[in-house]
Amino acid sequence: MATVNAFFLVSAILLIFTGFIDAADSLGDKVSQMTEWNNKKAVIRMNGDKFRQYVKTTPKNYSVIVMLTALQAQRQCSVCKQANDEYTILANSWRYYQQYSNKLFFAMVDYDEGSDVFSSMKINTAPVFMHFPAKGKPKKGDTLDIHRVGFSAEQIAKWVAERTDINIRVFRPTNYSGTLALALLFALIGGLLYLKRNNLEFLYNKTVWGGLALFVIFAMTSGQMWNHIRGPPVMHKNPSTGQINYIHGSSQGQFIAETYIVFFLNAAVVGGFVLLNEANSVKGDPGKKRILSMVGLGFVAIFFSLLLSVFRSKYQGYPYSFLFK
Amino acid sequence: MLVLSIAAILSFSTRLFSVLRFESVIHEFDPYFNYRTTRYLTEEGFYSFHNWFDDRAWYPLGRIIGGTIYPGLMVTSAVFYHALWFFNITIDIRNVCVFLAPMFSSFTTLVTYWFTKELKDAGAGLVAAAMIAIVPGYISRSVAGSYDNEGIAIFCMLLTYALWIKSVKTGSLFWSCLCALAYFYMVSSWGGYVFLINLIPLHVLALMLTGRFSHRIYVAYSAVYCIGTILSMQISFVGFQPVQSSEHMAALGVFGLCQMHAFIDYVRSKLSVEQFNILFRSIVLMGAVVSLSVAAIGTATGKISPWTGRFYSLLDPSYAKNNIPIIASVSEHQPTTWSSFYFDLQMLTIMFPAGLYFCFNRLTDANIFIIMYGVTSIYFAGVMVRLMLVLAPVMCILSGIGVSSTLNTYMKNLDVSRKDKKTSKKNVDHTYPFKNEVATGVVFLVTAFLITYTFHCTWVTSEAYSSPSIVLSARAGDGGRIIFDDFREAYYWLRHNTPEDAKVMSWWDYGYQITAMANRTILVDNNTWNNTHISRVGQAMASTEDKAYEIMRELDVNYVLVIFGGLTGYSSDDINKFLWMVRIGGSTDRGAHIKEADYYTPQGEFRIDKEGSPTLLNCLMYKMCYYRFGEVYTEGGKPTGYDRVRNAEIGNKNFDLDVLEEAYTTEHWLVRIYKVKDLDNRGA
Repeated sequence: MATVNAFFLVSAILLIFTGFIDAADSLGDKVSQMTEWNNKKAVIRMNGDKFRQYVKTTPKNYSVIVMLTALQAQRQCSVCKQANDEYTILANSWRYYQQYSNKLFFAMVDYDEGSDVFSSMKINTAPVFMHFPAKGKPKKGDTLDIHRVGFSAEQIAKWVAERTDINIRVFRPTNYSGTLALALLFALIGGLLYLKRNNLEFLYNKTVWGGLALFVIFAMTSGQMWNHIRGPPVMHKNPSTGQINYIHGSSQGQFIAETYIVFFLNAAVVGGFVLLNEANSVKGDPGKKRILSMVGLGFVAIFFSLLLSVFRSKYQGYPYSFLFK
Repeated sequence: MLVLSIAAILSFSTRLFSVLRFESVIHEFDPYFNYRTTRYLTEEGFYSFHNWFDDRAWYPLGRIIGGTIYPGLMVTSAVFYHALWFFNITIDIRNVCVFLAPMFSSFTTLVTYWFTKELKDAGAGLVAAAMIAIVPGYISRSVAGSYDNEGIAIFCMLLTYALWIKSVKTGSLFWSCLCALAYFYMVSSWGGYVFLINLIPLHVLALMLTGRFSHRIYVAYSAVYCIGTILSMQISFVGFQPVQSSEHMAALGVFGLCQMHAFIDYVRSKLSVEQFNILFRSIVLMGAVVSLSVAAIGTATGKISPWTGRFYSLLDPSYAKNNIPIIASVSEHQPTTWSSFYFDLQMLTIMFPAGLYFCFNRLTDANIFIIMYGVTSIYFAGVMVRLMLVLAPVMCILSGIGVSSTLNTYMKNLDVSRKDKKTSKKNVDHTYPFKNEVATGVVFLVTAFLITYTFHCTWVTSEAYSSPSIVLSARAGDGGRIIFDDFREAYYWLRHNTPEDAKVMSWWDYGYQITAMANRTILVDNNTWNNTHISRVGQAMASTEDKAYEIMRELDVNYVLVIFGGLTGYSSDDINKFLWMVRIGGSTDRGAHIKEADYYTPQGEFRIDKEGSPTLLNCLMYKMCYYRFGEVYTEGGKPTGYDRVRNAEIGNKNFDLDVLEEAYTTEHWLVRIYKVKDLDNRGA
């Protein structure tokens, strides 16, 4: 009996040991499997089973960032596509990073491949970014708040750094579209000059340069630079009353539609002034002179008053107006 | 002449609104630094001023003042001061400083007249002078009390340009040397001289391209460039930049091009045509290759330093927003909306293109210059609001040209004489019926415009640009005025009630004012040259009391000063600036534990009431602003501790301060000063 007991004891101990070794082996297996998948693709695609085996169950000594998304065309989730692009950029930056280690992996689960994952975690929006730490369950901060910070690669990297203390430098592949556009422009100008190489007179034409200068001035005065830097909307539709506002209510902002209106008004007034002066030097029909100058006069007066009234609508308390309020 | 002197007097008087409403006091923040340095200059003399190392700012780092400022403004004031005292007219230095800018604006009016007369004729000159006397874009930076570089810089700039045009027209060495001297004055007064040193070469280049290069231009530019550059390097702040930095390379390049062009012209007159062509082509090719490679190598090895951040953001407008948050945060560096253009310039925005068109009709060397000046400055004004100032003079000049051309054309058609009705009937002009009426209409319209312009400018000056911002005023319920003089009250309290070597910590906005009025050492000021130091102060403000105490002990801080607007409704207080403190504080290594997200509610709002984030409700800035505020009734019908700026009742009301004790709170609670407690006695 004692030998049987001893036998049971030894086999139990052996079993436990092998269990440990198995566990240790299985952790090593898991890590090497994840690393292998990672070598093939920066973002590991998982279905429900893989997810449960590699992300949720212990043993686990690595963190996993998972993007739960819905990329299939019929789901029509355009936000998911943009988020996917940014996520891939981040995962690539990590993959080729100097300090790459097997302590952090990037994975994704598509709704059509692992819908059970979505339902088990009671997630019914997409995309969702979650961090599964090496030890313990994910907490509230382990879900990225996209509504507040967005999903640009830099923001996700910042969040990852907060949760895992691993700082990833985001490396965006160089965007060649700018260089391409510039090269195209130069080619176009070169072609134009080559075609006109016998007759370059148009370069010396004063009126062309004058028109160009005037165009630049109108563009600047109507606030195009502000539009370029701040990127405002074209116009504003009041959601409750449905009224469309083309002109921003205060002096702190402007809409794109508004800048075009001002551009046109400015150009009209200046055109009126130019007409006034040119009218005098026009040869020919005497009535034409008079009409031209009257038209110029009218332009100037009417469009200046319009400009003033637009200005008044932005500065409450401005006391002056010209022809109409 | 009478019109001109009226314009000059008008420009002086229209800037005096704030002196009449409040008193003769220096405005804003930067002028206080200029005032303090001017005072030092008049008391200590030029030599110690030039070698001054200030140990009362940026403790413990100090600041080399002699080498980091443009001394033109201070030297000008000191000269005036000594001149007046020489004649026994004893005006205090503060008053000289306050009234310097309006006086220089009168001089600007005179220079503008002369400049426009050179460009077109005396009539246009008078109109331009009258316009620049009251244009709001210029008034905003040169009101009485606004003692800043721009006040004299615009005068210097226009003087340099006028002398440049004169030297281009005459080609004489005398005018070129005068232009170089004016350029030296300009360099000594403002960092915006970079605009000049790029515009003048650009003008020469344009003249070369349009085939108008002549020996006059050659003489003018060579003299101005050589003498001007050597003189500009005498200013220690500029140093060797004119030969090292990319911003000045254009001038150097055009100088070389000038020499080559003149040389080629000389050779062309000596050789035959074929010989010349071969020589010309080979030299041009060689020259281009050599200069390009030199420039490329220079930039690549760093010998030629690249464009600095401030100027680079003018060329690439989105640069500052993405890369340098401190530049992006200054309100003056924001781009310009169209309504700002119109607000500052009103009718000029419309007359300016018309004037430009007239210049194009009559192209001369000088006209090309003014066209280029106009187009470049309007681009820069579109990128940065502050540069509207540079745009204002050229707008006035071109509008003056436009208005006077229009009036010239139509005044001729006005038929004033009514005496000889019979003869005039015979001489009626069949080529242009109703000439008289149309002309009258036009003249009337233009006059109406000019009157509208005057009204607008005066209204804008009075409403928007005449506030000293160190003294505030508001209307009481019964219509009377309440004056808030809390800032000066607090600074003078500091001056009289703290030890001489006390160190005061506050946010960098108030640094200049504290050193000038309270005469105490500070940690950070408006110069913002050391971002790490500012970040340390931001960390102290944004941390809890214990962590902040460590930082304050490390920096030897004795007193802390905050601005609080919750009682009066003053919205530019430190709580509204707090998020910037958090951002800047968290942007360096030692502040990595400060995360902006912690200071928002879970919904992402910045709130100071019960819903606010606990990190915010327990940080040093919050506690300093709202200490004892929980017991105060601010508005009828609202509970105690109601913040009138954020329109909410504060969340953390009855707390005590552990490491600070309240030293002084001003009458309207605008400025609050706290003393940092010493370390505990052992065993106590």
